[in-house]
Amino acid sequence: MMGGEIVAAHHTLSTKGGAEMKKQKVFILSGLIPALLLVLAFTYYPFLKGIIMAFQDYKLFDLRNVHFIGLGNFKNAFSDPKFLMAMQNSAYWVFFSLIFQFLFGFTLALLLKKPFKGRGIYQGFVFYSWALSGFLIGMIWKWMFNSQIGVINDILLQLGIIHERIGFLSDPKWAMTSVIIANVWYGVAFFAIMLLAALQSVPSELYEAAVMDGASSFRKLWNVTLPYIMPTIIATTLLRAIWIFNDPTIIYGLTNGGPAGSTHILSSLMLDKIIYAGDYGAASAIGIIMIVILLLYTIFFLSVTKAEKAGDF
Amino acid sequence: MRTRNKVLALLLCAVLTIGLLAGCSSKNEDEGGKTDGEKITLRMIESLTSPKRTELIQALVTKFEEANPNIKVEFISPPFDQADNKIRTMLASNEQIDVLEARDLNVAEYVNNEYLEPLNAYTDKWSDFATVSAVSKSVGSIGDKLYFVPNGLYERQMFYRSDWLKEAGLNPPTTWEELYEVSKKLTDPAKNRFGFSFRGGAGSTGTTDAIILAYNGDKVNLEDSMFTKDGATVYSTPEAKAGMELYLKLYKDASPPDSINWGFQEQVQAFTSGVTGILLQDPDVIQSLQEKMTEGTWATAPLVTGPTGKALFAAGGAGWGIATHSEHKEEAWKLIEFLSSPDANTAFSKDYGLIPIHSSAAEDEFFKTGPYKTLIEMSNNPDVFVNFKPAFQYPGNAQWGQVAMESGQSLLLGSSGLDDTLKKWDEYWVDQKAKLK
Amino acid sequence: MKLRLFGMSKVIYLAIYLLVMVFPLYWIVITSLKPQKDIFSFPLKYWPERLTLDNYIHIFKISKFHIYIGNSLLVAITSAIIVLVIAILSAYVLARFKFRGHRQIMLAFFATQMLPGFVALAPLYLMMSNMGLINNRISLVLMYTVGLIPFSTIMLRGFFERIPSSLEEAAMIDGCSRWTALVRIIIPVMLPGIASTFIFAFVQNWNELFLAVMFIDNDALKTLPVAMNSFILKFDVDWGAMSAGAVLSIIPTILLFAFAQRFIVEGLTQGAEKG
Repeated sequence: MMGGEIVAAHHTLSTKGGAEMKKQKVFILSGLIPALLLVLAFTYYPFLKGIIMAFQDYKLFDLRNVHFIGLGNFKNAFSDPKFLMAMQNSAYWVFFSLIFQFLFGFTLALLLKKPFKGRGIYQGFVFYSWALSGFLIGMIWKWMFNSQIGVINDILLQLGIIHERIGFLSDPKWAMTSVIIANVWYGVAFFAIMLLAALQSVPSELYEAAVMDGASSFRKLWNVTLPYIMPTIIATTLLRAIWIFNDPTIIYGLTNGGPAGSTHILSSLMLDKIIYAGDYGAASAIGIIMIVILLLYTIFFLSVTKAEKAGDF
Repeated sequence: MRTRNKVLALLLCAVLTIGLLAGCSSKNEDEGGKTDGEKITLRMIESLTSPKRTELIQALVTKFEEANPNIKVEFISPPFDQADNKIRTMLASNEQIDVLEARDLNVAEYVNNEYLEPLNAYTDKWSDFATVSAVSKSVGSIGDKLYFVPNGLYERQMFYRSDWLKEAGLNPPTTWEELYEVSKKLTDPAKNRFGFSFRGGAGSTGTTDAIILAYNGDKVNLEDSMFTKDGATVYSTPEAKAGMELYLKLYKDASPPDSINWGFQEQVQAFTSGVTGILLQDPDVIQSLQEKMTEGTWATAPLVTGPTGKALFAAGGAGWGIATHSEHKEEAWKLIEFLSSPDANTAFSKDYGLIPIHSSAAEDEFFKTGPYKTLIEMSNNPDVFVNFKPAFQYPGNAQWGQVAMESGQSLLLGSSGLDDTLKKWDEYWVDQKAKLK
Repeated sequence: MKLRLFGMSKVIYLAIYLLVMVFPLYWIVITSLKPQKDIFSFPLKYWPERLTLDNYIHIFKISKFHIYIGNSLLVAITSAIIVLVIAILSAYVLARFKFRGHRQIMLAFFATQMLPGFVALAPLYLMMSNMGLINNRISLVLMYTVGLIPFSTIMLRGFFERIPSSLEEAAMIDGCSRWTALVRIIIPVMLPGIASTFIFAFVQNWNELFLAVMFIDNDALKTLPVAMNSFILKFDVDWGAMSAGAVLSIIPTILLFAFAQRFIVEGLTQGAEKG
């Protein structure tokens, strides 16, 4: 894979001849080997082994009876209404989480761009959610969403917005919305941080030129800011979507997929298959389906947004 | 130059911490090793973890170590929610485990994988085995082999808000029908008050199976309780349907809507926080109730019966077994024997809220009074409160809770019908039976 | 006028947002300071009449919380440092050189982000078991490090690319080797970027739950998230303990974050400006 042959170096040093080339080769190899070796040995290797299980009847409670069953696990998955529900939920989960995280995050970043007194402290208080664990966020929101002693119901009742308690986590009509709310709460900070950084890097000369042309602030945003930070937007939304899709921890903490599997997304369903059913075959099959979906998504996303802008992968 | 020093310092830190880690771990290696001179290390893992319970067991283990200076016990307490998965994974990878906590729910699974050593050879030589109650033995056995010695028994009974019932001029219900009526009368959503602490989430079978068995009454094959004496599943009878109709009403009219998703935690919490008035639970909630509720506001009563005047109940439990691949089975048994002695077990049962496994303990004043009294009453009235053997011998029993919960929730939500649901349950057990043969 | 209106709505938006973000934290802190009985009593008390540290005392009594905090710190920091060292090297190479396989390596790193980790859980457990690393913090450090290398590489590579290569070329003409140029010239310029990568890695490690549950047996080696997970009991979430534990586990990350957020934002900015 990495023959080490230097095709083109960025800079002039590579023209210095054989000895220098060799030195560079050594440098490249020694720089890459630790990272590559570790990732190959402890990410790709166990992962490939895990993938094999997708084609096996591999249940921890019946280990003496592990055998290949071809596509059986996939067939089971696609005929399981719970799985189909989880597919659909994953789509909602990613789409709405992403949209709202982005919108709120972007607005926040725009408002925080100009320094004001206390901005540092303010950022500290609104960005901290990013540092919490999904499990903990799940627990905190489970505590607040509780329909009997939960604070959210209490506030809404006292404000007269609702007249009877809502089963935020138990009513299937609400449950998915509730977990998405928790996830949005968690993820706004990520976008705000990344986009704020990008915004602050827009060279002021660009704005000056736009002002000279008499552009309105909306025009400035649309014509100057957005194009400039587009690569960041593309890279962050792409990555974020993948993470949101893959991370079951908030749902694990909040509802664990209930009621009646109505809040399972694919990743939490997979976790469920492992922790409670010990069915590694089914879990791996779901994992493979998830990868296929993500690959399709990534290809689609990069081709729509013109890959080059997101950096040259 | 300064920055270079910083970087160097950083690297040095890294090296030091790695060294520290390695140092710690190699020390552990020594301790965790199989023998350390004469000293033997046993590894023991629990499943129904809670910080308080862990403390109690650890105290017993420490006593055992003091009495047996050549044995060291490494006691492993994974979080309750992931404990069984961890135990399975450890067993599957041949990690050293000597003593493990098996549960009635998953003992068949362990036996099926040949993870558990039969204990009969050990109990034969155990003097205290004589006083171990028949129920306890039955809970830990598959067929005629004992695979774990329970560390206490769970039996369901009714807890109710005596103050609410008094206020409404009601008597504690004795039948499921009455339970529904009383619960309905207690229910007042405007006051955020509901009659019944329903449980539609994890462990929902505790209610559904109880109703179905009570309604089937005498029809049930007590030795093979998912089936009737005719060999059909208990879910296929008209009685099952009648019971489940009541179940649906109980949810709709007398329980918090939220409770469709409740498990143990929410169910008990709702009772202790004054949201619900009647709770069906095991004695291990007693301490929680005593801690959180005012004395005199709650009381206990026997399980409610079905239309034929019978309530079927089963004792459940978890307990200590020996792993097949343990290299120190004799020492492992010594530990189990120590934990299961009448003294140790009765003390543990009192502290944690379980029914002791030795029949001799029933003489203890502690269990004759207070919230435990009802349980003794129930066992003294075997004509009404019929003990049955749960379907623990089926490996699929461990999955049953999950299956029944999910289909049960769809039923409660109205997204599937009662007949379809019962048919699904029926098929599940027909299938289990076929697999067993 | 228009400007004032905008200013007003900006203040209102920021205020509402602050409220929404801070309230859950407030609520969990308040819960942790309430006596057990008040936690579940009606009506809810938004400002508790009685404040107590009982929940905190309780969790230190029922579990070795100080030990878990120590373990979490040790594992999280060690792994974050190793990640930095390894990822700085790979990111630098990937940013400065083009060679055969370059694209494939980037892709391989990027693709790890798509892999649902749980697929590999059972094989990983077996690997760790065979290496004798179960119940050893090294297994966690190793797994956390491996998990973070790809993203950190991608992230740091972005920073490197924004630093003109003329910087280290000048140093190399002065006779420095590439290694010394990297350590002496480039890394100091990159410090903000390195800081934000470190924080990212630390936070991930600090919060990880599932591997920690599986790989660690002994109480003395457990990390914080595992201890928190233990507060989910068979019939109860011990909300008092849970909230107290949550507050304690949030403090280090918030402190780190408050201290370093300037770095993160400015680091990203500064890196970008250089490009």
